[in-house]
Order: sequence, then structure tokens, then C-alpha cells
Amino acid sequence: MLLALLLCYAGFTALCLSMPRHHDELLGHKPSARRARHLKLAGWLLLGASLWAAVAANGWSFGLVDWFAVLMGSALVLVLLMPYRPKLALLLAALSLLATPVAAWAQC
Amino acid sequence: MKEGFRQAMAWLHTWAGLLFGWLLFAIFLTGTLAYFKDEISHWMQPEIPAHAIDSAASLSLAQGYLQQHAADASRWVIDLPNARDPALSVRWQDAPAERGQRGRFTQKTLDAQTGAEIQPRDSRGGEFFYRFHFQLQMPYPWGRWLATIAAMVMFVALISGIITHKKIFKDFFTFRPRKGQRSWLDGHNAVGVLVLPFHLMITYSSLVIFMAMLMPASILASYGTDRDAFYQALFPETPIPERAGQASLLPALAPLLAKASEQWAGGHTARVSVINPGDANATVQLSRASSDRIAYEYGHDVTFNGVTGQLLGATPDKPLPMTVASGFYGLHLGHFAGPILRWLYFICGLAGTAMIGTGLVIWLGKRQLKHAKSGVMPFELRLVEVLNIASMAGLVLAVAVFFWSNRLLPLSLSGRAEWEVNGFFIAWGLSVLHALLRPGRKAWIEQLTVAAVLFIALPLLNALTTAHHLGVTLVQGDWALAGFDLTCFAAGLFLAWAAWKMQRAGLSVRVKKAPRTAPGPVTLEQRTH
Amino acid sequence: MKGKIASLPMSYRLAVTSRVLAAVFGGYLVAALASVTLTMWLPLSRAEAVVTGMTISFLVYLVAVLWCFACRTAWSAWVGLLVPSVILATASGAARGLGYA
Repeated sequence: MLLALLLCYAGFTALCLSMPRHHDELLGHKPSARRARHLKLAGWLLLGASLWAAVAANGWSFGLVDWFAVLMGSALVLVLLMPYRPKLALLLAALSLLATPVAAWAQC
Repeated sequence: MKEGFRQAMAWLHTWAGLLFGWLLFAIFLTGTLAYFKDEISHWMQPEIPAHAIDSAASLSLAQGYLQQHAADASRWVIDLPNARDPALSVRWQDAPAERGQRGRFTQKTLDAQTGAEIQPRDSRGGEFFYRFHFQLQMPYPWGRWLATIAAMVMFVALISGIITHKKIFKDFFTFRPRKGQRSWLDGHNAVGVLVLPFHLMITYSSLVIFMAMLMPASILASYGTDRDAFYQALFPETPIPERAGQASLLPALAPLLAKASEQWAGGHTARVSVINPGDANATVQLSRASSDRIAYEYGHDVTFNGVTGQLLGATPDKPLPMTVASGFYGLHLGHFAGPILRWLYFICGLAGTAMIGTGLVIWLGKRQLKHAKSGVMPFELRLVEVLNIASMAGLVLAVAVFFWSNRLLPLSLSGRAEWEVNGFFIAWGLSVLHALLRPGRKAWIEQLTVAAVLFIALPLLNALTTAHHLGVTLVQGDWALAGFDLTCFAAGLFLAWAAWKMQRAGLSVRVKKAPRTAPGPVTLEQRTH
Repeated sequence: MKGKIASLPMSYRLAVTSRVLAAVFGGYLVAALASVTLTMWLPLSRAEAVVTGMTISFLVYLVAVLWCFACRTAWSAWVGLLVPSVILATASGAARGLGYA
């Protein structure tokens, strides 16, 4: 589940950053249209990758359940962190991305 | 036209949410606790020791015990311990005194490692929360009817809420604390939208679980009065051979575990039933552990001849519609969840509970603002206020009292288990009284504080009354017991923080902004097109 | 809210009550008829058809309830339930008559 979680959290953060209001809150300025599009694409790709990771780890039935659980959990963490510790929220996303290769190796 | 539709859904969401919110809060909170019912039971009956699981050894011990104490019984039932439930439970049914009557059942708990009889304190344990959340302590079948009606209303409230939430995607990541009513609404939306897959699943699945009761029309139309035929099609049973009347010693049951596991491609046995033990036609039925798969199937068995070990039958795989329905059931129960997933289930349940709670607070808060100046609350709002306090702070307090009574009531007290439950309801009743007698804010603070103190002190009470306290359980690695103490402590801290916030909010001078032109009540019939 | 609840006109209260009754009882009727119609018409074994019908029925109930509160008048709530009820009752009756049951 760890790999799926890391990818999910990173994906949600990317999607969040792709929204001008949140990009401004977290990084201090609004994103260009191009950057917003890239962030959106990256976000969706990461979420898709997390689904693949969850299913690869535990098969379709358990994998789907794990994925939804990880989806909801990471969304909650991000949204609750953002107003109180925005820097930490971003840091966790960066760390998640960094840790993905390790988690992927551990899973396979 | 579209504006009218959204407005209508907002009206529906508001009123459905309010009228059933108090009941749904209780259902959600106790249901959420039920995800850890085995762990709660373990804490409430610490006399049952947890050992590393050895199913074959435990089964042999149980068989030995039953051979010694219940050789003449007509039926044995052995519930094997598992990672979450350490009890090795044996039951036996005496042959009925007369034909057509049911024999008397006796139940004993054994130590899973030594086979010795244990006398755990009489307690409903976590089962109380589990049963309450769908039976509501009401006589059969009224409780479950009320609970499922509440589930249908919850479904309506969820969907109408989604329709009403215009900026559901735009505000997906939005949570703005420290902004009064706005924050409460943000919070309500956050725990609602971010955890929506869970909320929809838990609500719809609860309807599917009881669908035979709720929607029998199809059964009647298809099977008429022959309901049994329907259930036989749903749960095909391997026929059990009649008593042969010939005595025959029952061989060891343990090897059958491996045979059953083979049938289930590596699955686990949760229960072993022996029908007519000691007879030549003794039948052994092994029931599969519900934690093996997502689909929750009642009666997934493999049946053997007890004496020869011959396979008599196995429950066949279910057709797709049944698997889907069982899938809903299994998702709701979450038996298959390992520790991490179980915690996520718990967190999602708490989110659902918070969604309902914040909704109730918002409903009142919005309308209270209009009466803040006059200082007098109209009767309807005061009623809502009292119900809010009692159904939320009062309920949490009652849960704490339930745990406290488990540690304080004398072990030898007859009807102990009932008295623990009585403690729960007495505390809840007192919280209603208290909420009636005290002004709203004070009642919240006082009840939250008492609940906080009770939860924070619970690990200490545990240490003073039993030998299974944190000093021991953390060292031994009994994570269920330690986790319970730690979670209660954390819950107490949360409640203390909530009480403190309420106190501060009451003390601070509130800058009275000029009220924005508040829209009139969203009424259904007053729409201009 | 300018006035209190007491100031709402009786016609409003009656209309709301009517919608609630339509949603609760009329909605249940439509859901049950939908369940039966599905059960009669689905090309599955008896038990499977029953299970499928029952499982889907709650979605129908939901739509019926939403209709009762979304439609323009309280009368149209009832009419909007009556029409599908008649259609569904006919459909399930037809299945019976045609020997599908």
C-alpha cells in the first residue's frame, strides 16, 4: 500500500497546485496557464499510477479497496495540512516522489 | 429552473440531515467503534490471553475438552482464535429433551494455548457497539427498521448534498479554519467530499445488507410464500447425514484444517462444527474465515464425514448477483481488512461521524445568529441545541462511562454485562438532563470536559484495576490492548482541546458584523420561474 | 429567517407534507414495482433475478424521493410517481402473463 499512498499524495498535491488559488496559497504566486496544465496532467498521471501500484500489489479486488482507502486518506491529510502547515504539505509531496523508487523496489 | 432544482435539493438536504442527524451520528459513531470491536472486547475481557495463533493446536485442545465434557452432545461448535480475537470458544448443544425442541446450548472459553477453561468477566465488549449501530437497543425488528430507514435518509442526504454543493470540484481542496461559520461549512464539505467513496459505499451497502427485509416484493413475486426456497437457492447447504445410532470415536479434527484450506486455495477456517459427535455418521463442517475475502458469505462451508474424513460437500461459488451483494456486505463489514486498512476504515467512519456532527452544528449555528441579539432562543432552536449536545457530547461521554464501568463493576456481580450497558444509557440520559438544565455553551464545555477526563484517565484506571496496563502490554507487544489505552488517551486529548476551544470562543469579544442580507428560508414552494 | 416557523402558511405546510408522503410511500411503491419488474424480466435464474432487483431498487427509491422534492408542485410529485408505477405494474404483469415469471 505504501507505493500507492506516496503516488496518491503526490498526485493530489499536483492537482491542488494546478488550481490558481491554491498555487498562490502554497507557493506565493499564481501559475502560468502552461504550468497549471502540466501540474494537472502530472497529478492525474500520478493518481493513475497509484491505482496501478495498488492493483499490482494485491490484485483487483483488494487493490481497488486499498486504492480508494489510500485516495481518501491522502486527500484528508493534504487538505487538513494545507491551512496549518503548508510548507510541510509540500515537503511531504516532494519526499513522496523521492521515495517512490524505493517503495516500488520494495513492492516488486 | 436549475436554480430551483438546487434550492430544492438544499432544502431536502437540510431537513433530512437535521431530522435524522442525531440518530445517524449515534449509528455512525458506534458503527465506527465496531470496526475495532474485537480489540475493544479484548480490552474489556483482558482475562482472555492473546497467544500466537496455532489453529491446529487450538482445535486439538478444544476437541479434547469437548470429548471430556460434552461427549453426549448432539452438536459441538468450536470458534478458533485469530489475530484479532484471541478467544478459543467452545459451545455444545445437548440433545433436545423432546422432539422438535432445541437442545440447550452451553458455552465456555478456553485458553488457546493450554486448553484450560477461562472465566472472563461477563461483558458484551465491542459487540455492544456493533449490535447497537443496527439494532439501536430496540426490540426486534423495530430497531433495524429504524436504522435502515435512517440509512435511506442518509443516502438521500448524501446525494442531495452533492447536488447542492455547486463548487464541489473548485472547492475540493478548500479548508479555511478560524473563520467561524465558514470554517464549519468547509469542514463539513471536506469530510464529506474527500471521503465520499466511503460514505456512499457504507450507506448503500447497509441497505443491501437488509434488502430482504426492506424490499421483499421481489421475493414474494418470484417465490410466493415459499421463502425457504429462496434462501436455499441463496445459501445452498450440504445435506447432513442422519444419526447412525452406532457409537464411533471421533478421530482428530486438526488434519481437516489442511484439507479445507486446500478446497479454499489457501483459505482459513474460523469455525468447526461437529454434528452428532461420537456417532458413526458424525459430520464435521468447517466454516471459512470471513477475513479471507472481500465478499462476506454467510455459511461458506466444507463438510466432511467425521469418522472417515470423506468430503461430503463444499459450498459452491456464488453466481454474480450474489457475489455483488456479498461484496457490498463484505465492504461494509471490512472483515478482510488488515491493521492499516482497518485504521483507514476507522478514520473514514470518524469522518462520516464528523460530517453529520458538523452538519448539525451548522444548522443550529446559522439560525442562532439571528437570535443572538435577543438572547432568547425560540423553543425549536433550543430543542435542537439540547439534542445536539446530548447526541454528540453526551454519546461520547456514555461511551467513556461504558468503559469505566467495565473496570469498576465487581467481577462477581450478576448481570454484569447488562449493567455495563445500563451505565452507558444512564450516562446518556443524564447528559440529556444536563443539556436541558444548563445554557448551551456551558453544557457543551462541561460534557466535553467530563468525557475528556474520563478518556484521559482510562489507561490509568486500567493500570489500577488490572495487570494488563500499558507498562505490561507495550512490553509484551499486545498491540490491541495497548492501542486501546493509547487511542482512548488521544480521544481524551481531542475532547479536552474541543472543550478548550469552546471556552475560548465564548470568552472572546465577538465583533458583530452587520448581518449580510441573509437569504430567506429556502422554501420549497416559493420559487418564481 | 424573518419570522419563526409558525409564520409559514398552511398551504405550504400541506404541500410539504404531501411531498413527504409521496416520497416515503409513493417512492417505496415505485421502488418495489421496479424491483419486481426487473426480477420478472431479467434473463437470470430466479434467485439471481430477485437479488439483482432488490439490490438496484434503492437507486430507484432515491430518484423517486429526489423527484418528489424537485418537481414544481406537490401534485406533480404524486403524478410523477403514479405514471411509472402504472407502467411498471403493467410490465411485471405482462411478464407473468407471458410466462416469464
